[in-house]
Amino acid sequence: MRTVDGLLFLGSSHFGPALTADAALAGMDAVGTQTAVAAPVHPHRGGFSGANDLVVRAAEESAGRLLPLCRVDPWEGADAVAELRRAVEQGARGLFLHPSEEHFRANDVRVRPLVEAAAGLAVPVVVAAGYHLFAEPLQLGALAGWIPDTPVVLTNGGQFNISGLAQFDAELALGNANVHVQTSGMYREDFLERVVATFGPERLLFASAAPVFTMAYERRRVDAAHFSEAERELILSGNARRVFGLAVAA
Amino acid sequence: MIIDMHMHIEEVASLGWQMSADDCITAMDAARVDAAAVMTLTDLPGLNPRGLELIAEACESHPGRLYGFVRLNPAHLEKAVGLLDRAITELGFRGLKLHPVSTLQHPGGSATIALIRRAGELGVPTLFHCGDEPMTTPLSIAPAAAACPDATIILGHMGGYFHVDEALDVAEQHPNIVLETSAMPYPDKIGEAVARIGAERVIFGSDGPVSSPALERQKVEIAALGEPAAALVMGGNAARLLGLAA
Repeated sequence: MRTVDGLLFLGSSHFGPALTADAALAGMDAVGTQTAVAAPVHPHRGGFSGANDLVVRAAEESAGRLLPLCRVDPWEGADAVAELRRAVEQGARGLFLHPSEEHFRANDVRVRPLVEAAAGLAVPVVVAAGYHLFAEPLQLGALAGWIPDTPVVLTNGGQFNISGLAQFDAELALGNANVHVQTSGMYREDFLERVVATFGPERLLFASAAPVFTMAYERRRVDAAHFSEAERELILSGNARRVFGLAVAA
Repeated sequence: MIIDMHMHIEEVASLGWQMSADDCITAMDAARVDAAAVMTLTDLPGLNPRGLELIAEACESHPGRLYGFVRLNPAHLEKAVGLLDRAITELGFRGLKLHPVSTLQHPGGSATIALIRRAGELGVPTLFHCGDEPMTTPLSIAPAAAACPDATIILGHMGGYFHVDEALDVAEQHPNIVLETSAMPYPDKIGEAVARIGAERVIFGSDGPVSSPALERQKVEIAALGEPAAALVMGGNAARLLGLAA
């Protein structure tokens, strides 16, 4: 099995975390991850075009190990849609949105043209999920409802809550057949297992969200949970290959 | 000795909460955990009137492996004090658990402070759910720590996803605060906690069995604390707080 990390971040973030492509690849080697989907961080004193170019270049130089996502700010309106189209032409494999760091509500009408453009370009949409006010599970479910035929991938199990209180809303969001959730940061093993049992193993993807989270630790969440080998293969590899259009390699 | 300071046992069918002592023991064995502090998910008085007996029976069934914490609602102060006294002095419980999200009682409120002080008089710690919700953040709990300097207050989850740095700050300010590692996703912060407040005030917990004690243990191992810090965090401190230390 060739493990795919469904999301990590490249660059030096305005908010602190930083990860170079070389460090990402070294970290992946250390935990046995062959391929990773890479999104730009929120750039420090720079626009998203430059950040997208950095990730596309890193992917080009990675011998296929890094797959770039395009990150844009919906507040930039038509310019954001144009940047998405430009980045996809350059090789980006999907749209990444971070409602909290770019300060927009995930189901704000300004977001709709962007995700519909992604759907038109036949690329998935990945959203940083679980941030109060900006990326709550049901807001993300509404976003997914705009593009029912396009995969929408929610980080962090679709929700953050250290009491487990947001799991119910995340499961409602998963009522949209195109919603997938990632394992990053999700401490509740029973939630991950319930996603698989209730919605099917095709809906859960391994992701580290490094450097926000720790690559070595996040990789172990999938190993610790009680999945069959067939389910584990989908979670660690097959689902990401399907969603991000990766060639099936031996 | 490896001790998990935060596990749950509950039987509330209407909420779908069914986790047994055996579920805890199975998860502990898989993680090579020797002993655990166990508590309900509901408060007393409350949804599970048998909560006290449930935990007492679990501990009695697994001597040397399970130690009870009684979870109480300070809004029913008189009853709660009575339950706390009975739990500690008659049933052998080793601590008090408070979850302000379910009780709607602010940690700095007079009823909560009265209960924490009573726990301190009885010689047992108070474990707070400490995360990102209102009334559970480290800054919400800090006034209770200031008001009860002779009581040990454990910040369960050490601030959750977004308040870990604040947990470290308030732990530096209040020497009676101990940080518990369950659920929060940052191994590096465990190392930072040891560096800033000392290994004697950081304890391993899992929030199991619905989260994995084995995985939570690996989080502390990734923190690479070295000895003697790792031994203190993984069990030495808990043994002291539970009254197990020689």
